[in-house]
Amino acid sequence: MRSGSRYGLLALGAALVIAYPWLAPNTYLLYAGVLTVMYAVLATSWNLLGGFTGYVSLGHSAFFGLGAYGTGLLVTKADWPWIPALLVSALVVAVFAGLVGVAAVRVRGASFVIVSIALVSMMNLLVQGWRSLTGGSTGLRVPTPFRELNRGESHLVFFYLFLVLLVLALLTWWVISRSRFGSGLKAIREDEDKAESLGVPTTAFKVVAYGLSALFVALAGGLYALWFRSLDPIFVFSILVGSYMVLMSLLGGVRHLFGPLLGALIVAPAGEYFLVALGESQIHLTATGVLLVLVVMFMPEGIIPAVAKLVRRFRPPEASIREETAEQRSKEAVA
Amino acid sequence: MTSSLRTEGLTKSFGGVTAVDGASIEVLPGKINGLIGPNGSGKTTFFNLVTGMIRADSGRVLYGDREITRYSPHRIAHAGLGRTFQLCRIFPRMTVMENMLVAVRRTRLRELLAGSHDKAEVERARHWLRRVGIDHLESAEGRNLSYGQQKLLELAAVFMGDPELVLLDEPAGGVNPALIERIVTLVRTLNEEGRTFLVVEHNMDMVMGMCDHVIVFDRGAPIAAGTPEVVRNDPRVLEAYLGV
Ligand SMILES: Nc1ncnc2c1ncn2[C@@H]1O[C@H](COP(=O)(O)OP(=O)(O)O)[C@@H](O)[C@H]1O
Ligand SMILES: [Mg+2]
Repeated sequence: MRSGSRYGLLALGAALVIAYPWLAPNTYLLYAGVLTVMYAVLATSWNLLGGFTGYVSLGHSAFFGLGAYGTGLLVTKADWPWIPALLVSALVVAVFAGLVGVAAVRVRGASFVIVSIALVSMMNLLVQGWRSLTGGSTGLRVPTPFRELNRGESHLVFFYLFLVLLVLALLTWWVISRSRFGSGLKAIREDEDKAESLGVPTTAFKVVAYGLSALFVALAGGLYALWFRSLDPIFVFSILVGSYMVLMSLLGGVRHLFGPLLGALIVAPAGEYFLVALGESQIHLTATGVLLVLVVMFMPEGIIPAVAKLVRRFRPPEASIREETAEQRSKEAVA
Repeated sequence: MTSSLRTEGLTKSFGGVTAVDGASIEVLPGKINGLIGPNGSGKTTFFNLVTGMIRADSGRVLYGDREITRYSPHRIAHAGLGRTFQLCRIFPRMTVMENMLVAVRRTRLRELLAGSHDKAEVERARHWLRRVGIDHLESAEGRNLSYGQQKLLELAAVFMGDPELVLLDEPAGGVNPALIERIVTLVRTLNEEGRTFLVVEHNMDMVMGMCDHVIVFDRGAPIAAGTPEVVRNDPRVLEAYLGV
């Protein structure tokens, strides 16, 4: 795509997203919009680790849950204002993730996937077991920071809060992808030992990517707690939320800035639709799993490269376009 | 003068196989050193031990006045050791230029967040690509290069780290004669510019023609060392190679 039309498309997309809360016909669709932007944040944050390094974490919901419970607990038990509660708990989660990362990123491939699942299961058990603090399996109620707003207005505010977080996550991805740090991370994805032998401190790079990725996921978790106002450990620490992040990223394309966002735009509304149509059941996790397998098998690069390829096929080569326009221009000049 | 590499009693076993068995060697600084030996005599494992890719069971690796035995591979690279792999390794989904820019020499935060296509670095990369003769392939993806071109790319990328000592694992393996000639000339010139080489190679003509000093491995340990002349006539070497 030429850069002119690319920026045009980007501006149009951004305008549509910003206008969405005003275009949404009812509160439910506004709610679904907030959810979609939240998943876009999660997938984009996941991609800070998964896309750059190729380390597939199925358990990133651990950091979502921890961010949510951290924020929720600081607000309810310690009476903190919501902004410091959100930031501090996300930072603590990021540091925790860094420490976990030191051990977790030692193993590669399938072993890393298993370790990431173990992590989220452990967190789930911990939160459910520690009843006195977390409310156990009954969950935790979190007061809204915006008591004067009605439901619709509250959705609107959180839509923009999640959107700000999304922009921050995208900017971070973009800066990294152009940096030496990013170049090292991509080299890790391709051949870790080779990268190390060229002087890339691979362990440190992976741990930083892991922590950074967890930071954004935890921020999303914290916002979720404040928005949703009730935390269910089974949901926030679920493999489903973790696999959504993977599915969205892979579906859109992990090598692209907007890949995970695009994946979220497809998967989140579809997930919501099936939830309404079929009710809550294990079907979701199964369907997500099946979709993941299909994407990996038939579209391993994701939608963006697949579409780009299709567009190239239907478009004449750049040179002939330029010739045509030059010819037309001279004709016009004559006429 | 560049630093010298020494090993003392370096040992590594895999299960029951002792791949490197108490190897003590010295690489002559400023020279082209050869490392030869029958298949399976532990040359590649020795490289992996020296560059920190695998941990030694015992023994020490000394580089200049530093002991680098327990260093991680990237620290060893920063200390000035570069290496290529027996089965050429590049980043297949990155362009030739991106491959070149991976080599990290400095790790301060500001440098890490700076753009990877820094002007001076790109110029340096072009310089090395020109020297190995693949500068015209700058924007091709690594995987689209021929095997010979990939080997040249691997070599060029190693030099982005500005190594004093370069370990080459079978640089002529699977490469056509014209390219071998180019690699030999390149190694010679780079050596004249002050870089030390340690080259594992099966091509005897290449080793004997190019090296100043040859170390012979058999069953994980050196059995002879000296000029190509001396080594060629050493009875232990003849025995190890010909089984006489
Ligand atoms: N990762 C490994 N696991 C098990 N055995 C190995 C491994 N690497 C090398 N070996 C064994 O160590 C011995 C030396 O191998 P290598 O260092 O590759 O020799 P060379 O490079 O001289 O041909 C061989 O017997 C080989 O099978
Ligand atoms: Mg070998």
